[in-house]
Amino acid sequence: MLSYVLRRLITAVLILFGASFIVYMMTALSGDPLGDLYGVPNSERLIAARVEALNLDTPPVLRYFDWLGGALGCLAPFAATCDLGVTVEGQQVTGLLAAAVVQTLLLVTAGTVLAIVVGITLGIVSALRQYSGLDYTVTFFTFLCFSLPSFWLAVLLKEFAAISFNNFLLDPVVSWATVLGVSAVVGLGWYVASYGARRTRLLLGATGFVLTAAVLWFLLATDWFQQPALGIPLIALTGVLVAVVATFLLAGLRNRRALYGGLATVGAGLLLYFPVQGLFAQGGLGVVVLLLAATTALGAGIGRLSGGYDRGQNVRVGAVTGLLVMGLVVLDRFMQSWPQYLDHGRIRGRPIATAGSTTPGMSGDFWMTGLDLFTHLLLPTIALTLLALASYSRYSRASMLEIMNQDYVRTARAKGVSERSVVMRHAFRNALIPLATLVAYDIGALIGGAIITEQVFAFTGMGNLFVNSVHNVDPNPVMGVFLVTGIVAMVFNLLADLVYSVLDPRVRVKA
Amino acid sequence: MRFDRGTKALGLAAASALALSACASVGGPSGGDEETGGAGGEGSGGVITVAETNNFTSVNSATTEHNKDINGKINYMIREGFTFVDSELNVVKNEGFGTYEVVSENPLTVEYTISEDQQWSDGNAVDQADLMLWWATTSGYYNDAKTSEAGDVESGANYFSIAGSTDILDGTDLPEFSEDGRTMTLTWDEPHADWELALSASDGYLQPAHVVAEQAGMSEEDLLAALRDSPQGDPESPRERPEVEQIAEAWDTAFNFAEMPSDESLLVSNGPYVITDIVKDQSVTLSKNENYQGDHVGQVDEITVRTIGDSTAQIQALRNGEVDIMAPVSVTKDTMDQVSSIEGVQVLEGPQLAYDHVDLNFGADIFEDQAVREAFLKTIPRQQILDQLIKPVVENSEVLNSQLFVTSEEAYEGAVAENGAAEKYPAEPDIEGARRLLDGRTPTVRILYNSENPVRVDTFALIKESAEQAGFTVEDLGDPLWGEKLAEGNYDTSLFGWVSPGVGTEALTQIFKAGGGGNYNSYSNPEVDALATDTRVTLDEEERRQKMYEMDRILFEDDYGLPLFQSPGMFGVAEDVNGVEYMANQTGVFWNFWEWSRG
Repeated sequence: MLSYVLRRLITAVLILFGASFIVYMMTALSGDPLGDLYGVPNSERLIAARVEALNLDTPPVLRYFDWLGGALGCLAPFAATCDLGVTVEGQQVTGLLAAAVVQTLLLVTAGTVLAIVVGITLGIVSALRQYSGLDYTVTFFTFLCFSLPSFWLAVLLKEFAAISFNNFLLDPVVSWATVLGVSAVVGLGWYVASYGARRTRLLLGATGFVLTAAVLWFLLATDWFQQPALGIPLIALTGVLVAVVATFLLAGLRNRRALYGGLATVGAGLLLYFPVQGLFAQGGLGVVVLLLAATTALGAGIGRLSGGYDRGQNVRVGAVTGLLVMGLVVLDRFMQSWPQYLDHGRIRGRPIATAGSTTPGMSGDFWMTGLDLFTHLLLPTIALTLLALASYSRYSRASMLEIMNQDYVRTARAKGVSERSVVMRHAFRNALIPLATLVAYDIGALIGGAIITEQVFAFTGMGNLFVNSVHNVDPNPVMGVFLVTGIVAMVFNLLADLVYSVLDPRVRVKA
Repeated sequence: MRFDRGTKALGLAAASALALSACASVGGPSGGDEETGGAGGEGSGGVITVAETNNFTSVNSATTEHNKDINGKINYMIREGFTFVDSELNVVKNEGFGTYEVVSENPLTVEYTISEDQQWSDGNAVDQADLMLWWATTSGYYNDAKTSEAGDVESGANYFSIAGSTDILDGTDLPEFSEDGRTMTLTWDEPHADWELALSASDGYLQPAHVVAEQAGMSEEDLLAALRDSPQGDPESPRERPEVEQIAEAWDTAFNFAEMPSDESLLVSNGPYVITDIVKDQSVTLSKNENYQGDHVGQVDEITVRTIGDSTAQIQALRNGEVDIMAPVSVTKDTMDQVSSIEGVQVLEGPQLAYDHVDLNFGADIFEDQAVREAFLKTIPRQQILDQLIKPVVENSEVLNSQLFVTSEEAYEGAVAENGAAEKYPAEPDIEGARRLLDGRTPTVRILYNSENPVRVDTFALIKESAEQAGFTVEDLGDPLWGEKLAEGNYDTSLFGWVSPGVGTEALTQIFKAGGGGNYNSYSNPEVDALATDTRVTLDEEERRQKMYEMDRILFEDDYGLPLFQSPGMFGVAEDVNGVEYMANQTGVFWNFWEWSRG
């Protein structure tokens, strides 16, 4: 094992050396680094200064070794000898990289996590109902998103989810015809996506229609978009739903004690609603995280106390319910700040942003800045999620289908194991193994930035740094981006291979 | 299927209910409290946000490394000088900051006086040390470097790495100060036409002496003494000047930051606004300078400059109200169409100071014969180039008819009237005339241009088509590395752009004088050389203008080349923002930022 890892690492280092040389030369030879200086006043002086600063009078091959010398300094820990050179503008590449990595992570993290969660869920569900209307709908939808060019999707999102939605918010009036029309479309969607006997499907479609119409009416009639709130009733309702679903998935509804534990946790969460408002008023991220952790623990405790034959299940149900209920309370608190956010002089009633990661000059407490981050990350996150949905859902669908046809699944069913246990415990877990590889690769690629998405949403992350530097024929920052992404990609590839052998005992690393 | 009466009635009722409900609607404001918040806790003037393409890196835009548009624009809002340039490219006195008067024309002596209680935003007075440092950076007084052919410094040193030239103040002696230090007298060795451009608001050289001194590890008095006592630089006998070096080092580097510096004294301002927030690569926010004592008191409370690189993203941000003003660097028809279709946004358009031109290489064999030069220039379809490439973007653009002036300048009309360009080379090509001049010859013309610039590529294609009709053979030297080749001179004709500074005369000697730094096409005419040199020492504006008209005329007479058009420019401005005017120069939309207000 150890020698395998060592061998892989040594190969990786050799590849990095070779690749860095090629990338450096390609960047250096890709154009004229002085191109922007011809034809401007004082070009002579400016050209001389740049040649001096970037050593342009030495051939690129020699400059590469010069760069390499500085880059090797980064290997010495805590020696502060790391020197990745300067850009055309004289900024230190190391500083730029640090800032760019933060921006990139900010942009892609939520999108990637959502894509993984939603994608895998869709894949599993569509695998369980193979060749049903639902399956086809999911397949159609994910492939549609997959085939959309990202810049176009982003422009559409900005047009409809930001500009049009903001216009709507300034005057949130909708005709009944639109409400009914939208509900009809949603109802149709429910019908198409449902499965079972025609009667059931019709009923579901009708439910979808009525539910949507009711929700829309509620939102509009209460002016919810301007003054959103969950309040105790909605938190209670959603909380109960969470408890039931969590019990269904994690313990099975027959395990009444788990259900009661979950419901008791919801009650406890509601009791906390008023006491925590005071904490929220002074606190920030720390308070929120602490509260979430505390209620998770509280839920777990309640689950444990509720006893029964399988306490482990109860604990899990309680913990998940506790976490999500407190999540709802936090969400409610954010909503309380929404009117104030809308009225801010820099928002002026148009909250959903199309560019950047914050509103410049926006000041406010944790809740205001949190909302600001949300309104800025909303569109890029939706775009990135939709784009990545297909690969996760298709992989998980295929892997789930394969597992469900395995002998041991049949054996489990034959033994009389409940369908829930078969799916959740025996099939689902194993179906995730191949996805571990995919996720590891994607996380490796993630640091490289979503170049186009970054550009369209005016984020200045790794992709932006890379593109601008290539454009300026500026090898140093390009090499910086290359180093970071290259190392991360190699490390995560190695991790993926190792994780695979840990997850699947049939795979063994040959030393 | 049969319907009984009851069902039908029900159906009718349902249908009419639906029809009625189509008129009705849900939602709407619950009360009359829409106008809450106002400017959201800030003062009454509101906030204006401007979208820029590049990212901010320094408040000292005058250094070679940080000499880029956005830095200059930010600097313009936090610094004031004795003059500024208005949208018609006139030099305007800024008497709120200080006054100046010519004491004597021979030798040229000017007395600059800072107005009373001018101070930096931290309360430190704008005084003798500031003026001294300002003069020191701009004049290159201490430079004693000797440089080799290759551009390497062999001995001595250059202090203050400024992007601009030391041309204007180069010929001044060490300034003399009045008792109170508010009055500085400069004396030039010989008259200089551009003297009024020195110590201007937009030159970017002014930095707070007390902050520079602190960064250099000395007191403001020490800084003043060091600058005053260090003798003029002489490349023949270079000397060590450790203090000046420290000061120059601080001036070069201390003001370069892309995010809020930990030392806020670096942010001091003597302009109407002061930087209060910087988000790296995203935005710079400026608030009113409470200590501002000048005439250009800002109307709005805050101005935010946001970096949005992608032009589509800028347009959508403008539509979404996230930015109020956008002023793209390069304007395409696409941008123009999209911005003009936005409701509630007005478009200001005009020419930029960058202009494209065709230069003939006087070192090339084929152009030794003036008839060939004239014939080639006659074939250039300037009207067609304008109609196809520029008019679709900015409707009211015109063919440029002067080598020395751009259309935004007041003097342009006069130049056109006297230089004879329009008569000799009408905008339409004269293929017949060219053929007559060629008299059966078929010279080959190799044209150098930037093959990565679509406008140049199209221009080249149009020129080629037209010139070949007259019998020329046109060879394509389009190259992304055109810049290097420009100076090498291995071509017959070059097609590229100059950015006119809009004011001043420095370009005259640089571009048109034999051996000038920008004279890539080996043009040499003693008469032009003399005129160029002479213009630069002429103090009287009218006289200077006449000399430039004459020079312009000779350039066309010599078939130097042809100016084609100025690049189109455009600002998109939200309608509730007042006071924005089109400006062609590098200060762009910011030139009168203190007049902006929210309506």
